Amino acid sequence: MRERVRGLRKEERWRGLSVSDGLVLGHVLRIHTGTRHIYRATLDEADVARETRRFRAAVRLARRQLLEVKARAERELGPSHAYIFDAHLLMLEDRKLLDEVKNHIERERSNAEWAIKVVTDRLLAVYSEIKDEYLRERGSDIEDVAQRLLVALSGERTPTRQLVEDAVIVAEDLLPSAMAELNLEHARAIATDAGGWTSHMAIIARGLGIPAVVGLRDLYRRARTGDKIVVDALSGEIVLHPSAETLQSYQTMIARESPRAVSQTTGARAPQTGPQEVLRTLDGVEITLRANVELPAEYEGVKRFGARGIGLYRSEFLMTQRGVMPSEDEQREAYLEVARLAGVDGATVRLFDLGGDKMGGLAHDTERNPALGLRAIRFSLAHEEVLRTQARAVLRAAAAVTVGRLDIVLPMISDVTDVRRARRIIEEESAKLEREGKSAGRVRIGAMIEVPSAVLVASKLAREVDFFSLGTNDLVQYLLAVDRGNDEVAAWFRSLHPAVLESIWRTLEAARAAGIPAVVCGEMAATPAYAVLLVGLGATDLSMTPSSIARVRRTISAIEHAAAQSIARECLDGESADAVEELVRVRFRERWPHLFPPETLPAVGDQE
Amino acid sequence: MIEERVNVTNRLGLHARAAALLVRTANGFQSALRLERLDGSASADAKSILSVLMLAAARGTELRLEASGTDEREAASALCQLFACGFGELEA
Repeated sequence: MRERVRGLRKEERWRGLSVSDGLVLGHVLRIHTGTRHIYRATLDEADVARETRRFRAAVRLARRQLLEVKARAERELGPSHAYIFDAHLLMLEDRKLLDEVKNHIERERSNAEWAIKVVTDRLLAVYSEIKDEYLRERGSDIEDVAQRLLVALSGERTPTRQLVEDAVIVAEDLLPSAMAELNLEHARAIATDAGGWTSHMAIIARGLGIPAVVGLRDLYRRARTGDKIVVDALSGEIVLHPSAETLQSYQTMIARESPRAVSQTTGARAPQTGPQEVLRTLDGVEITLRANVELPAEYEGVKRFGARGIGLYRSEFLMTQRGVMPSEDEQREAYLEVARLAGVDGATVRLFDLGGDKMGGLAHDTERNPALGLRAIRFSLAHEEVLRTQARAVLRAAAAVTVGRLDIVLPMISDVTDVRRARRIIEEESAKLEREGKSAGRVRIGAMIEVPSAVLVASKLAREVDFFSLGTNDLVQYLLAVDRGNDEVAAWFRSLHPAVLESIWRTLEAARAAGIPAVVCGEMAATPAYAVLLVGLGATDLSMTPSSIARVRRTISAIEHAAAQSIARECLDGESADAVEELVRVRFRERWPHLFPPETLPAVGDQE
Repeated sequence: MIEERVNVTNRLGLHARAAALLVRTANGFQSALRLERLDGSASADAKSILSVLMLAAARGTELRLEASGTDEREAASALCQLFACGFGELEA
C-alpha cells in the first residue's frame, strides 16, 4: 500500500541558488540538523547548583568534540579550512557566553537548555541586524555552538554519518560542524533550505566539487530519505520524484555535460587493479596520466587511481574564502604534503590563479570583465608580495622533498615578458633564502598555455620555460570568446572546434621542437573520446581529475596510436566544430565500436 | 592606559577567523583590552570572541583600542600589528 502511494507521488520542483556547479541524479539522504524544541523548566533553589554543574560538563564535552572535529577537518580539508572551529572553541571559552548562561540559570532558576536558548537568541538577534552579508552569516557559528551545547546536554552523541554511494544530502541547513562530521567522499550533491553563497557549506562544496543548491525553502520537509532526486546545480533546479520523462531528459543532459557529471554516473570511483604499470597504446606508445588536485580530500584518489604524480596542483584552493591568504609556512606545509603524495613522479604547483571569478562574487563589482582582467600571474605580479611569499614556500618545500620533485607553473602567460618577470622574482627569493641560511630547492618553471597569444608565440615561449602545461578549459573559452558560465552562448562553447585542435597541436609541436615536455590539463583530457584525440594530436602526458584516470586509462590501453593520429589529422582539416564532431562520431564508431557507445561521443546537434 | 587608533583593512572585516586570531592574541596579555567604534556606537572586550564579533566591524571601520594593565604597551602593539597586516589576509 505504502509503495503504491509512493509510486503515485507527483514530481515536484524547486528553484534555488546554485553555489557549486554540477548535475546529479541520486537518492535523498535527509540529515536532521534543525532546531530542537526547548522548554522552560523552573528549578527548585536546591537544584540550581547542580544545573550549573551540568552546564559546565556540557561545555567540556562540546569542547572535546570540537577538538576532534577540528582535527578531522584539518586532515580532510586542510588547516586553512579548520580555522572556523577555532572560532567555535573560543566561543565555548568566552566568559561573556558562559557567565550569561550561568547567571540566567541562577537568576531565573532556569534549566540549562532554556538559558542557552535565551542567551544565544539574544546574540543572534543582534547579529541578524548586521548589514554586511558575510559578517551576518557568521551568526550561524553561534547557532552551531548553541546546537552543540544542547546536544551535549541531552547526552546524545552526533552519530558519524554513513553515506551511501549516491546520496544527495538534503537538510534545512548545514552548519560547519555538521559538514565536518559528514563523510563527504560519498556525497553526490547537497541541497538545503537555507544557506548562501558565502556559507561555510558553499565554500567547502565548491572546494570539493560537490554540486550544491541552497535557498530551497521547504525541500527538507517534503523529501524523504531514499526518494529519487535530480540536483541541477547548473540552473539551480531541484526535481523531487522525477517522472520517467524528466529522468530521461536529465540522463541525456548528463551524457553530454561535463566529464565530472559523467564520471559520477558511470561509477568511475571503483578502484582499479594494477594501475601502476606503464600505460601504452596497443601499438606501444607510452602515455602518462597524472592527477589534477585541489583539496586533501582528493589526495586518496591519486594513489587509488594510479596517477603518475600530480600534473596540476591548483594552489588557490589553499584559500578558504575570498581574500584569506595562507602564510608562507602554511603554504610550505601544503606543498610538501602534495610532493609527498605525488611520490617519485613529482608534483607541479600552479601559482595562485586568483582574481576574477576565483575570488568569488565580490571581485565582479570592481572589474567589469574579470576573465579578461587582473587575474592569475597578472594578479600575482601586481601584488608582488603574494608572488614572493608563494615562491619562497615552494622553494623551501622543494628543498625538503626527499623523493620526487616540485615544479612551478605560471598561469595565464601571454608572452615571455611575464615569464621573465616571474622568473626573476623566484630567483631573487631563492638567493634571499640562501642568504638567510634556509635552503631553496631547484624547481623547474613552466608556462600554462591557455591564452591564444601564448599559442601563437609558443615557440618563443618554449625557449624561456622548462615545460608547458596546456589548460584546455580556459583555452577554449578565450579562443572562442565564449563564457562557459553563460547559457546564452553555450552553443558556441565547442571543445572540438578546429581552432582548438589546431592550437593544441601547434603548442605540442612547439614543445617537441624545443625539446621540452608538455602536459595537457583540463577537462578535455578527462573525457575518453577527447583524450584519444589529444593523444592523436601528439600529447603523451595528460593530467586530469583522479576519478577519471581509470576510465581514460582503459580507453587508451585499447586504441592504436597510429589510428588516433590519422583521425586527429583529419579533424584538423575540419571546417567547423560540427564537421569535426561528425567526423569523430563516424571514425570512432568505425574504428572502436566496442569502446565508444553513442552516448560517449558528441551528440548530433550538440550545439542546441 | 594606552589609546591607539586602528582601522579594519582586510576585506572581510572582523569575521570569525580574524576575530579568533585577535582574541587568541589578546588573551596572551594581562591587560584589559577594549575596542570601540570611533563613533562610539559599540564597544567590545577584545578577549571575548562574541563581543568582538558583535562589533560587526566591516572593512573600513575605524576603532579605538584601549589597553590598560602591566603589559599594556606590548599588548597594544601586538594588536595594532594584527590590524596593520590585515590579519595576514590578502588585499584584493
